[in-house]
Amino acid sequence: MALFAVVQAAFLLTLLSFRTYQSEVLSEPLPWTPESLEVSINSAQQCLYLQWRVHNLTHHQELKMVFQIEISRIETSNVIWVENYSIPVTWNQVLHWSWESKLPLECVTHFVRIRSLVADASIPEPRFWSNWSSWEEVDAQKSLGQDPLFVFPKDKLVEEGSNVTICYVSRSPESNISCAMEDVPIHGKRLSPNVSVFILNDVRFIRETGTNIYCLNPSNMSGIILYVSKVLEEPKDFSCETQDLKSLNCTWDPGHDTTLRHQSSQRYTLFESFSGKTKLCEHKKWCHWQVAPDSQETYNLTLTAENQLRRRSVSILFNLTHRVHPMKPFNVFLKSISATNATMTWKVHPVGNYSTLLCQVALHGEGKVIQQHNVSVKVKSQYFLSELEPVTEYVTRVRCAAANHFWKWSEWIGQTFTTLEAAPSEAPDVWRNVKSVLGSHIVTLFWRPLSKSHAHGKILFYNVVIENLDKPSSVKLLSIPAPANGTELTLDQCSYQIHVTANNSVGTSPASIIVISRDPGNKNVEEGRIQGTEDGFSLSWKPQSGDVIGYVVDWYPQDPRCQLQWKNLDPNTTSTVIRSDAFRPGIRYNFRIYEISTERIAYLLEKKTGYAQELAPSENPQVAVSNLTSHSFSLSWKDYSTDSQSSFIQGYHVYLKPKEEQCHPGFEKVVLSDDSVCCQYKIDNPEQKTFVVENLQPESFYEFLVTPYTSVGEGPHDAFTKVTIPDEYSHVLIRIILPMIFCLLLLMVLCYLTSQWMKEKCYPDIPDPYKSSVLSLIKYKENHHPTIMNVNDCVPDAIEVVNKLEGSKIQFLGARKSLTEMEFTKPAYLYLLPTENYSGPGPCICFENFTYNQAASDSGSCGHVPVLLKTPPSQLALLTSPENLLKTLEQNYVNSSGGSPAGETSLNYVSQLASHMSGDKDSLPTNPPGPALCSEYRTQMAVSLGLASPSPSENSSLSSVTLLDQGEPRR
Amino acid sequence: MKVLAAGVVPLLLVLHWKHGAGSPLPITPVNATCVTRHPCHSNLMNQIKNQLVQLNSSANALFILYYTAQGEPFPNNLDKLCSPNVTDFPPFHANGTEKARLVELYRIIAYLGASLGNITRDQKILNPNALSLHSKLNATADIMRGLLSNVLCRLCSKYHVGHVEVAYGPDTSGKDVFQKKKLGCQLLGKYKQVIAVLAQAF
Repeated sequence: MALFAVVQAAFLLTLLSFRTYQSEVLSEPLPWTPESLEVSINSAQQCLYLQWRVHNLTHHQELKMVFQIEISRIETSNVIWVENYSIPVTWNQVLHWSWESKLPLECVTHFVRIRSLVADASIPEPRFWSNWSSWEEVDAQKSLGQDPLFVFPKDKLVEEGSNVTICYVSRSPESNISCAMEDVPIHGKRLSPNVSVFILNDVRFIRETGTNIYCLNPSNMSGIILYVSKVLEEPKDFSCETQDLKSLNCTWDPGHDTTLRHQSSQRYTLFESFSGKTKLCEHKKWCHWQVAPDSQETYNLTLTAENQLRRRSVSILFNLTHRVHPMKPFNVFLKSISATNATMTWKVHPVGNYSTLLCQVALHGEGKVIQQHNVSVKVKSQYFLSELEPVTEYVTRVRCAAANHFWKWSEWIGQTFTTLEAAPSEAPDVWRNVKSVLGSHIVTLFWRPLSKSHAHGKILFYNVVIENLDKPSSVKLLSIPAPANGTELTLDQCSYQIHVTANNSVGTSPASIIVISRDPGNKNVEEGRIQGTEDGFSLSWKPQSGDVIGYVVDWYPQDPRCQLQWKNLDPNTTSTVIRSDAFRPGIRYNFRIYEISTERIAYLLEKKTGYAQELAPSENPQVAVSNLTSHSFSLSWKDYSTDSQSSFIQGYHVYLKPKEEQCHPGFEKVVLSDDSVCCQYKIDNPEQKTFVVENLQPESFYEFLVTPYTSVGEGPHDAFTKVTIPDEYSHVLIRIILPMIFCLLLLMVLCYLTSQWMKEKCYPDIPDPYKSSVLSLIKYKENHHPTIMNVNDCVPDAIEVVNKLEGSKIQFLGARKSLTEMEFTKPAYLYLLPTENYSGPGPCICFENFTYNQAASDSGSCGHVPVLLKTPPSQLALLTSPENLLKTLEQNYVNSSGGSPAGETSLNYVSQLASHMSGDKDSLPTNPPGPALCSEYRTQMAVSLGLASPSPSENSSLSSVTLLDQGEPRR
Repeated sequence: MKVLAAGVVPLLLVLHWKHGAGSPLPITPVNATCVTRHPCHSNLMNQIKNQLVQLNSSANALFILYYTAQGEPFPNNLDKLCSPNVTDFPPFHANGTEKARLVELYRIIAYLGASLGNITRDQKILNPNALSLHSKLNATADIMRGLLSNVLCRLCSKYHVGHVEVAYGPDTSGKDVFQKKKLGCQLLGKYKQVIAVLAQAF
């Protein structure tokens, strides 16, 4: 027990002494502690830069040391980073270390301290850390300006997808500061009353000019631009090749362009490991590398892409001669071009000593490769192109590659050429249509233009040789210029052989031969019907004779304007399907099948007609109504052609709108598409184009419609035609009344003629002096006016008023005043025209009218005209003026038409000349007599002056006044 | 120094192509001689007025083009980002004598011309695709150069003033991008404001 206690005491003493030694060692400063620590900030990089020294190192002494660096944020106890930095240290060396902060350094204060440890093998263990240096405070906010608000980091460049920490620093503690990135608010964490931090995760590229991030308070705004670049990619498809073994051309796909405005772009460098050479590339996609003249064959090239954030490399190892990509050949020519051959020549650029190249010649025609050949080439070569088509445009191209170690073909180089013309290689496809007219054959020849591959050039004309087989010496040649595709011949009843050839500028094609026999062949072939399908018309026939060289099916639409088409068939064929894009629905096509004998004579086998697709008739026939009776009428549509319709007409439907519930016999009741009910009569024969509608009711009204029907439907149910049925007796009445009316009219005409005859015999018309032949006699006289009498030339007439005082009383209608109220002591002469002013005598002619006034006639006077006068004497003077006179006369005349009995009061018209003859001299005025030449005129009517006064008709009154104007005489 | 090299120096070299160009220009003493290289146009004041009117008519469009090209938040925060709070901007007194007004005009146009040069340089880097803005900035700078020449000619020919001390705006070359945009916007806002006063004063 005592021994145990002694041992224990000794162990404790030993341990105590060791601890004491250790504490003494640690308490003393180590000779290699870091000193002169300096900390600086790089705001652009957001890095802390540390530099320090290690003293007490002897000259040429180098120790491997470890430095432990601690970084605290906001306060020293808040250590955010601890790192051991190992580095060999020499005498008087300044050591550097940097640290990039994720939080902008301007946001908060940072503290840094450092200690060291000698880790060199020359220093025996134990090894101890030195003491910590004092904390170095890094406060970037002290260097900020006076602005009230800051946002950090400024102009930071990050890669797309990275996380970015930003902060704002406010000079005064504010709570109402908000921040946003491109208008999108962002939310952060407050580090201190003045500082808030925002973490932006997975930032995306928006634009090359950067992303705006800003913070604002009510009075200020500050912001930063964050540059987000695409992630630098590893160059793809890196490859190098040479055209001349003198330089390498390296290319690659750079991927995304990480270039940003205001930031430097990505760079590319080439490094060759064997030679150790480096080249900074000027372009982003390719770079030239000069091949060393020392015949270096193997190259190990490394391409490095680098930007501010990333660096990527890719390497290739290759033999130079295996990367030969020759330049494209040159001097490509074509010579000796004929219709079917041509020779192509070209040259190649030499490639060092590897001058043998493999060249590929390709011939293109109509957009595709026709021929392809490989040729070994030293410097110059040629190739013979054969089997070409005449008059065809070709493109021939050539490219080359290294013959020994194929790497890549060069670019193509080519030439275009056209072969020359040749004679047509095939006879034209000819067919004919024969019509027999008046003992001759009208032969219409058709031929198809030769295809380009057979024409071998432009067809200029067609030769048609007509050979009379019955008269072998008779040959006729027709030359028909292209592009005609047919001609018409008129031949007699002989047999003819017709040769048709196509000609171009080089030669003539083989002849196509057709024989027209004098026998027109089988005319009695009946036409059958055929139904077309979507695939066309399927035709089949039975061979009639076994010795044929082929068959021909021709067809044409019903429309005569369309041209005949035909199809040649083998002699073993007995059926075919005729397809054509020209087939249209609703058009009837006529087909004829011919067999061609060994003598090349065509014999008609069959005739078919049909539609590619039948269509319902679009129109109804124009129907004429006839034989309309009281019980029936007839319908006729004979102009309706059944052959030119859009389908086969099977018959007709006659629709009659019923007046009663029941339809007429033969009709059946049907419901039309518009739900109306009609009576339908079905005509099964398409050639029956008349129909009689019977059993109708007289004096009634019917509507009918005739429409064709086919297998695909009937015609449109458009407007019905209306027919009115007459009554039963109307025709009888017409038969009686019409003759009666005729007889009556005849009788009236006879009566009229008789009355005219009677009139001429008993009381003929008074001749019209103006129409008298006498007028022509006086034309030679000086009178310029073919008048009866000119007042200017005559002594004015006067009206003698004979007043009978027997109490005769004339009632004037207008004035309601009796003439008996007027007192006349002597006959009063009413001067129609002033006599005082009368001057120039003139010729006058007086015509005597015995039918006018018997009394006047008896007295020999030609001027007494009974005139009623109501004008009082006192007014006579007024009448001397023409106007007053006219007015008066008008009134008088009107009143005179009231008809006072003649003889009771008479007004005699007394002409100047007549006064002498009458012998009534006392009654004449004192006016001088008229000239002797003046003729006497007695008329039976009053003549107005042509003014507004109405002119009475000649027969309107027995009393008349002759009123002669001074001016132009008027009747 | 960068602003001198990029904006001010070319401007002054154009205007004062002689030895010592680019150094601050004191006002010539009254009795000193002042010689213009070419005779001044007889209608010089009219030309100055017209140039001011021309600048005034295009100032607002230039301002709008500028802040639109900067993107958000500029168009919607003009009061905070583009307010015409430009320190050290040369003063102008509209009621002064013509000589004083011309001297002040010279200082203002020199200040604006240099600032416009900085803005043009910055915008070509920061917004290389805003071609219409570049064009407008260049056109405005051209007119300013002509105006500055005319004002100097007038000062020299009539008032025998050959040199005027001028001050320039803050150098933006060391600023961050957002600050460059903001300073440019403030300067153009100030330009729009002051050019209206100048056009009215002459």
